[in-house]
Amino acid sequence: MNDIDIKKYHKMEKTMDFEFSKSQLMIKKEAIRFAQKELDDDVSEREKTGVFPISLWKKCADYGVLGSAFPEQYGGADADILSTVLMMEGLGYGCRDNGLIFSLNSQIWTVQMPICKFGTEHQKDKYLTKLCKGELIGSHGMTEPDSGSDAFSLKTSARREGDYYIINGTKTFTSLAPVAELFLIFATIDESKGFMGITAFLVEKNYPGFQVGKDIKKMGLKTAPMAELVMNDCRVPVENRLGKEGNGAAIFDEDAEWERSCILAGMVGCMERQIETCIKYARSRQQFKQPIGKFQSVANKIVDMKIRLETSRLILYRLAWMKGKKQKATMDAAIAKLYLSESYVKSCLDAVQIHGGYGYTTEYGIERDLRDSIASTLYSGTSEIQKNIIAKFLGL
Amino acid sequence: MNIIEKFIIDEVAYNLNRTEIPEEENLLKTGIIDSMAIIKLVTFIEETFKMRISEEDLVPENFQDLKSITGYVEKHAIT
Repeated sequence: MNDIDIKKYHKMEKTMDFEFSKSQLMIKKEAIRFAQKELDDDVSEREKTGVFPISLWKKCADYGVLGSAFPEQYGGADADILSTVLMMEGLGYGCRDNGLIFSLNSQIWTVQMPICKFGTEHQKDKYLTKLCKGELIGSHGMTEPDSGSDAFSLKTSARREGDYYIINGTKTFTSLAPVAELFLIFATIDESKGFMGITAFLVEKNYPGFQVGKDIKKMGLKTAPMAELVMNDCRVPVENRLGKEGNGAAIFDEDAEWERSCILAGMVGCMERQIETCIKYARSRQQFKQPIGKFQSVANKIVDMKIRLETSRLILYRLAWMKGKKQKATMDAAIAKLYLSESYVKSCLDAVQIHGGYGYTTEYGIERDLRDSIASTLYSGTSEIQKNIIAKFLGL
Repeated sequence: MNIIEKFIIDEVAYNLNRTEIPEEENLLKTGIIDSMAIIKLVTFIEETFKMRISEEDLVPENFQDLKSITGYVEKHAIT
């Protein structure tokens, strides 16, 4: 290609822009202010008892967190995805309750989004508005005791009987289950069809045969309740099937892509807060008659944290942009989930190390971030599964 | 060989050393199309035929064999 051809391309419209609008910056700034003022109570006390912060949940709903990305007719704000992600980043920065941030995202991307995308008008009217307004809590039931990473090998079954489906099976690691009243359940209507036999259902807590099982205690995210679900000839009206028969895998893939793209936005905010905390500590803590930040072994850790934060941001924002443009992003979402979660864990570990013994104690909450961060490499598909997805898309 | 068959042989089932796919071979039962392969196939079809495949159409009737896939594409592709 000669010089004249290149000059032609230089004159064409350019669209790549790394700058946020004033309103987007304000969205993040206001989210930080809201979180610091309204959500930053004594997390360590609630963590000891594992109490779900229902009052804070309602505050978030009133603020518009749950409805941000959803149509106004369902109680949402119709905000673009990038703005919603910026808001989540702000919440993660301002609120130290990672369990609350995780729970909000879990409902938004894995319950609200599938209903919004695949629900009938009746289902959206009945459930989506209440979910967006915080009047109803929703939970996503996919994983089973014998099917985690191999999600589509699930055994929960559904058979049609007249105007109902009869569902039998058990789900585990179901986030928000102890406090939810609506459950998005995946079951197979025909095992011989493999993943295309899977169908999605909206199950209300009071349906006959449905039971929330035992609470599940975890090493972190202790304020995000989790339990098993047991369905014993659970009767679900046909009108509560979400999408068509056999659509369940496609619905799950879609909500998994949303979750992987957006759920870690709050963690990016947390990473920024951690860097500030570590810098403050490294400048003030003196050893060998100088601030420990003057030692390269400490400074370099903070540098690494900063690099992870900025690279995580780029991946997160680009993915939010892609989702906003309705682009297919399966591999990109897997890259984001893998990189952001692993970065988050590394940064939490660095934060503990920088704070030394104080980082290891419970008083400062630094060790809590580390315990909470481990879950991010597991939920929404483990790091190993994300690598499998990327490998497949690379043609391997 | 149509372009979809070639993609399935070269990209989806490349490790199986297939040279052809009978149009009524049940690709779901044989495992050639699994949950990951369907995403790759959908992406390929959308890009090649400049069409959008709705998730609601990802049902066995439309994707269980080459005949149904080709029929679906012929019906929905932008001409």
